[in-house]
Parts: sequence; C-alpha cells; structure tokens
Amino acid sequence: MTTTIHNRWQGTTFGNQVGILAGRSLRALISDPKLMIFSVLQPLIMLLLFSQVFSGIAGTGNFPPGVSYIDYLMPAILVTTGVGAALQSGIGLVTDMKNGVLGRLRSLPINPSSVLVARSVADLIRTALQLVILLVAAVVLFGFSPAGGVLGVLPAFLLALAVSWSLSWVFLAIGAWLRNAETMQSVGFLAMFPLMFASSAFVPIDGLPAWLRVIATINPLTYAVDASRNLSLAMPVGSGVAGALLASTGLLVVGLVAAVRGFRRPLAV
Amino acid sequence: MNDTMIEVTGVGKTFDDVTALDDVSLTVPRGTVLGLLGHNGAGKTTLVNVLTTMLPPTTGSARVAGFDVVGQAHEVRGRIGLTGQFAAVDEGLSGTDNLVLIARLLGASRREAKARADELLDVFDLADAAGRLARTYSGGMRRRLDLAASLVGRPDVIFLDEPTTGLDPVSRIGLWEVVENLVGDGTTVLLTTQYLDEADRLADAITVLADGRIVASGTAAELKAQVGRRAVHVTLAAATDAPAAMTSLELAGLQPVHDEPHNAVSTPVHASADLAVVVRALDDAGVEVAELALTEPSLDDVYLALAKQKIAA
Repeated sequence: MTTTIHNRWQGTTFGNQVGILAGRSLRALISDPKLMIFSVLQPLIMLLLFSQVFSGIAGTGNFPPGVSYIDYLMPAILVTTGVGAALQSGIGLVTDMKNGVLGRLRSLPINPSSVLVARSVADLIRTALQLVILLVAAVVLFGFSPAGGVLGVLPAFLLALAVSWSLSWVFLAIGAWLRNAETMQSVGFLAMFPLMFASSAFVPIDGLPAWLRVIATINPLTYAVDASRNLSLAMPVGSGVAGALLASTGLLVVGLVAAVRGFRRPLAV
Repeated sequence: MNDTMIEVTGVGKTFDDVTALDDVSLTVPRGTVLGLLGHNGAGKTTLVNVLTTMLPPTTGSARVAGFDVVGQAHEVRGRIGLTGQFAAVDEGLSGTDNLVLIARLLGASRREAKARADELLDVFDLADAAGRLARTYSGGMRRRLDLAASLVGRPDVIFLDEPTTGLDPVSRIGLWEVVENLVGDGTTVLLTTQYLDEADRLADAITVLADGRIVASGTAAELKAQVGRRAVHVTLAAATDAPAAMTSLELAGLQPVHDEPHNAVSTPVHASADLAVVVRALDDAGVEVAELALTEPSLDDVYLALAKQKIAA
C-alpha cells in the first residue's frame, strides 16, 4: 500500500453496486413524483380515448362475444405501456451519459456493467409500479373487470413485465451504441407506433386490412398482447405465453450482450 | 517509495485521422500541482481522459499513482478523483445523497458515507444546502459539489479539467482556495486551464499544450521569461505630449510604441526596475500621465511567441 494515512475503502461487491445504483434511480422517482404521474397519465389517456373511439366494435363480427371493449383493451395497454417504459430505460441511460453522471461513475473503481444492470432493475421496479397504478385506475375509473379475475390478470401483468424487461435491454443496447437522446426518441417512435397499431392491441387482427393483417401476424407484439389478453379474459392461451416468453428471452440475451459491449466502449471522445 | 504520481511516456492518441495527442511525456511529483495550459482543442481533455482510464492511448504509456492506466485501470480508478468541465452531479439527488452514493460505491458503510458527506459539505460551504436537490444549486455550488464528489475517496491524485470555466470571479477564487488547501494536504493535482493567471496562481509547474504537443514547460516565471515580456502601458493626459513621451523613452534606452487610438505609448520592459525608468523619463520630459500599467504576458502572448518560435525553427 501507499503512504496514505487514511484507510482506503476497499470497494464493494457487484451486487452491492447494483443495489446502491438502483436505489439512486428509484430515489429520484420518490423525490420527483411528477415523473411517475406523467408516465401513468399517458397510458390512461390512451385508455380513455381508445375506449371511447373503439367501444363500438365490441359485439361486432370479429370481436370475442360477451367481452367489453375495456376488458379487451386493458391487457394490451399493459403490454404497450411496458414497451414504452422499455424505451424510457434506453433514453434514461443516454441522458445519464450526457449529463456527466456516467462519466463520474466510470471514473470510480466499480464494474461498469453494474450501472447497466442497476438501471434495468430500477426500471423494472418502476414499470411494475406504473402497471399496478394503471391497473387500479382501470378498475376504478373504467370498470375493468375481465373474466379471468385477479388470477388471470396477475400472470398477464407478469408477462407484460417480462416483455418490458427484455425489451428494455434492447433499448439499453441501442442507447449504449447510439448515445444520443434525440435519435433514441426517433428510433423509439418509429419502432413503437407500427408495432403497436399493426398488432392485435386495439382491434382483432381479423378486422384489419389484409396487408396490415400480414404485418400483425408476424409482429411479436401481437403474441405478447394475445397472451396477456387470453390470460386476463380466461380464454385458452395455447402456446402463446410460452412463445412470448421465449421471444423475450431471446431479446433479453441479445440486448444484454450488445448493451454490455456497447457500454464498455470509451465514453469520452 | 515512488514519489512520481503521474508519469506519462510518449503518449499519442489519434481519433480516425485526427491526432489529439502527439508524443506527450511529463511527470508530476507527489504533492505538487501541474498546470496544463492550452486553448480549446489543444488536447488537454484528451490527456486527462487517458490518465483517468477513460480512453486508452494509441501509443505510449502512462502510470498514475504507480499503476498503469491501461493494464491496471481498476487500481488507478481507486486512487484518483476527477472533476470535468461540466459539473457531473446527479440533479435528482440532494447534495448529501450525491456524496453518499459515491462513498457507498467505494465501499463505505452507510454511517461512514454519511460522515464523509457531511465533512465534505462542510469544507465546501454547502452544509446549508445539503438536503436540497442539486437541481436547485447555482453554478458555483454545483462545481463545489462536483469537486467534493471527486474527493470522497480521499484520492492520491485529482484531475481538474478546466474547473473554473464559466464560473463568476468570486466562485473562481473560492475554488482556487479549495485547491490550495488540497495541495497543502499532500494531494497531487493535474489542473487544465485556458487561463494563465489560474495556472500562475495554483501550479508549481506548467506544461503548455498546442495541437496535441507539448510546446513549453517550466515554472510560471520561467515560461513568461521564455515566451513573453512585461510591458508598461502609459495613457497620456494630453495627445500633444505623444512625441515628447516617445523621445524621452527612446533616450532612456527603451523601444516605445505609439498607440495612437488609445492616446498611449507602451514599451516592453525587462524588470520591475524599468518601471521607475519609465516614470522618471516621462517626469523629466514634463509629460503628464493619466494612467500607467504594468502588464504581464497573457496566454495569448505565450501562444503567439511559441508559434513564432515554431515557425522560426
């Protein structure tokens, strides 16, 4: 050791680093509740608008009989909100890069990956909270009461969370390589809207024009939405959940590897 | 015991086709301040990034606190503090929480972390704002918090990359005092700056970078003597006195220049004693002086002089 008179702190484990950094992200959530309110407000507005605009299609030809539109819509909103939260994860990473906080963290003797894992864990918790608030609001304000009950909605909620978490790694990877918040927003916007609308999220696929139906059929979001919906509505799930989880795991692995590699590149240029 | 805390040997750094650093070598002994002087784009920040393990050098090698910045980056990071050009504080956290976060990541217990944070907030005159979100801090407060954050781990070497750029004069002097105290405690400092007065005040040795190369190094006094001369500027009370002033200064053995638009004459001088020569000559000639100033060479003078030397060579 050197001649320093103070005892040098000896660093801490990867797990502790993740815990401390995730705590930091979550603390910002508590100190600035506006963030959470706005993140819930957006899906609530979508819920309000869509439930009004599309409510007429309940009971029509392609629509599952005996299901209200809100019960049909809400499981999809869980998934799309999770996808939006995943994008925010990537944007948050890029923002930290820009404001210098990541520069400071990287000058510390910690594992750089702990920064990524911490953000992902914190965002998972934030998304879970967001979805719970959303579910409560849907029940209280819009009369969401699907046939599957709590036992149906709980797995749907967990599935939406799993999809969101795996996608968050994809966006973290994009953020770690792009390093630009504006580009991130554009990429996210470009990817999100076609994925959301060319899917089974808002109307049954069979009611879509033929060309859109093709896209919706190959859109992975359709499978996540269908699985979430079938669970909530106590309809036969088939291989949907397994498919959605399998696709999510694939995205998770690819995203994780790409994110860690991208993040290890030097920050400063 | 190794008393060289920073040792840079032939470091070069290229980005694609751009050469940011070219064969830079320097050493900084323990407990001293090296001022790295240069304009924007001179390579100062790139060198700091190499030394703080943020960027690997393209060629050459560097050791900080005895550890190689590439092969032993983790060890280096455990012994350095970094304050960049922009305050890297987490705006969503309070002053205390910003410092506690760093201390905890370094391995401090909750209690140790809080104690260290309180201690530093006190030193940096931020105790009153400790519980406030950093978002509400003024520019000067942010810089102080940022500097405090880089000191949490009691680093052996701290890197201050243009720490006073954009600060008001009072905050600037406050920060200088903090740096002086640090050095008093035995910390080694590498300071980059665009301002000669800052380097002059804080640095034991100065290295001038231009276009990624070291163009001069030495103490502030050596550098000034090498590259520029002091000058006396005399603003005349009456424009009609100009010829008399010029003649009297020439007779005194000086080389005055008439600055007509400002109604002034200026002359390079070698020593402070020459100031008395100027005053006496003007007085003997009956020239009334409105204002008299002794000016030190500025960074621009240093640069211009060095550029001339390069062209001549």
